[in-house]
Amino acid sequence: MDVHLVQAAQHGDQEAFASLAVSVGSRLHAVAHRILRDVTLAEDATQQALLAIWRDLPQLRDPARFEAWSYRLVVRACYAEGRKERRWAPNLYLIHPDQAVAGEGLGSVHDRDQLEQGFRRLSIDHRAVVVLHHYLDLPLDEVAEALGVPVGTVRSRLHYAMRGLRAALDADARPVAREVAR
Amino acid sequence: MSSDPDTTRIVRSWLEGGVTVLPDRVLDTVLDQLPATPQRRAWWPARRIADMNTFAKLAIATAAVVAVAIVGINLLPANGGLGVGGSTVSPSPSPSPSPSPSPSPSRSPSPRPSPTPVAWDYPSATDLELGTRYPWVVHGVPLSLTVPTTGWSTKGTPWGTMSKDSAAASDGSARGSWILIWDVENVNVSPCSTAALDPMPGPSAAELATAVASMPGVEVVTGPIDVTVGGRPAIHLTIALPDDLSCAPESDDLWYSTGHPSCGGTGECWRYASEPGQTIDIWIIEADGARIFFEAETYKGTPPEFEQEIQQIIDSIRFG
Repeated sequence: MDVHLVQAAQHGDQEAFASLAVSVGSRLHAVAHRILRDVTLAEDATQQALLAIWRDLPQLRDPARFEAWSYRLVVRACYAEGRKERRWAPNLYLIHPDQAVAGEGLGSVHDRDQLEQGFRRLSIDHRAVVVLHHYLDLPLDEVAEALGVPVGTVRSRLHYAMRGLRAALDADARPVAREVAR
Repeated sequence: MSSDPDTTRIVRSWLEGGVTVLPDRVLDTVLDQLPATPQRRAWWPARRIADMNTFAKLAIATAAVVAVAIVGINLLPANGGLGVGGSTVSPSPSPSPSPSPSPSPSRSPSPRPSPTPVAWDYPSATDLELGTRYPWVVHGVPLSLTVPTTGWSTKGTPWGTMSKDSAAASDGSARGSWILIWDVENVNVSPCSTAALDPMPGPSAAELATAVASMPGVEVVTGPIDVTVGGRPAIHLTIALPDDLSCAPESDDLWYSTGHPSCGGTGECWRYASEPGQTIDIWIIEADGARIFFEAETYKGTPPEFEQEIQQIIDSIRFG
């Protein structure tokens, strides 16, 4: 991240901010989409996060920490959008066409469905930890910094979340296991 | 059954799917809104923060407390006047003697005259010693207090906050409390709103306490109850901010003042919370014609004896 761009934007330089937004916008959007599992909500969250970044940028004391700080804001925006989803959206979900391309190691459509359902049962707190750690590859201490919580909390949330996702995958395997046992 | 490494691999693979590009229209919408979105200026002295321990940094950042929004900044165009890029912090500790010659667009519900200069004072930055009575002047009202234990210190300018750091938790996170004694005129419609109540609460302590207690999304832990502080009538209440507060960090405005000298005379000092889940103990005291707002913010995970110490500080207050 170009610290000079951050500093210029901190001082109200809109062009510098536009360059920053181009630079981080897609990454923030990808994070928001993976947390919220909904393209429209993710777009709204990213838009809110970028505006919050602009508004609060002068208060960022260390420009070198811009990236972690920006993740914090997008997660906050996801909270707000997630709340809207709970209030107004039907209890349905739609897998985005991009998701239909299974990655390496993802066994089946059924696995994806199970993961999707298991992930949606997690709170935004837990989803955020999974996404920042397993999608962005941030070490746990950086996840903690981004979310503004202790490392122990991150570790605990990650453990809980992964246990839930494993249970979702196992739920898929269980009937098969029962059949074998018979 | 999936092993943990299997689960991790599957989850990572699954996360690879999904959108990766922000649509141009979203970016365009954001950039279009910049001129109408004023930046919020930082007010803390970075030079001092670098020398402080973890909690002290938080206490200052959250002594956090106060975002200064000069009247007029919010609705001005970004590239003009005091808009984006302009400082909202008045370097002068004394109120401006003359009112603004132009209309004053503000987040507060109705225009008000410039406040009449009144006396304010608080100790300079120092460690507070046991057995010493420390003087404050809050909106012209002199008072003094003592601390019950060592570890309390004042930060001096600009707000005269006092704070105490607890031993750092094993994970290194900051814990502790800080206190601000000032006046508050109005509260936000909700912590994540940018609008203040209109009409404003009435002038009594009870009316302000009711407004605070009625903020949507804020949990009232205790009160409001009638108490006395230093022999003066007061209202006490304790509120907690929800863990899932959705606003951006340091943008969850709670209430504001215009009377404090660090508000620059014509500005509004908005106080915002620094961490979801925090507890805020509030005493609103009616003393000698002023409404004094004593608030103590305590971080999650702070030992319970901090609450007792805050109560002891309140009990130590004497007026005059």
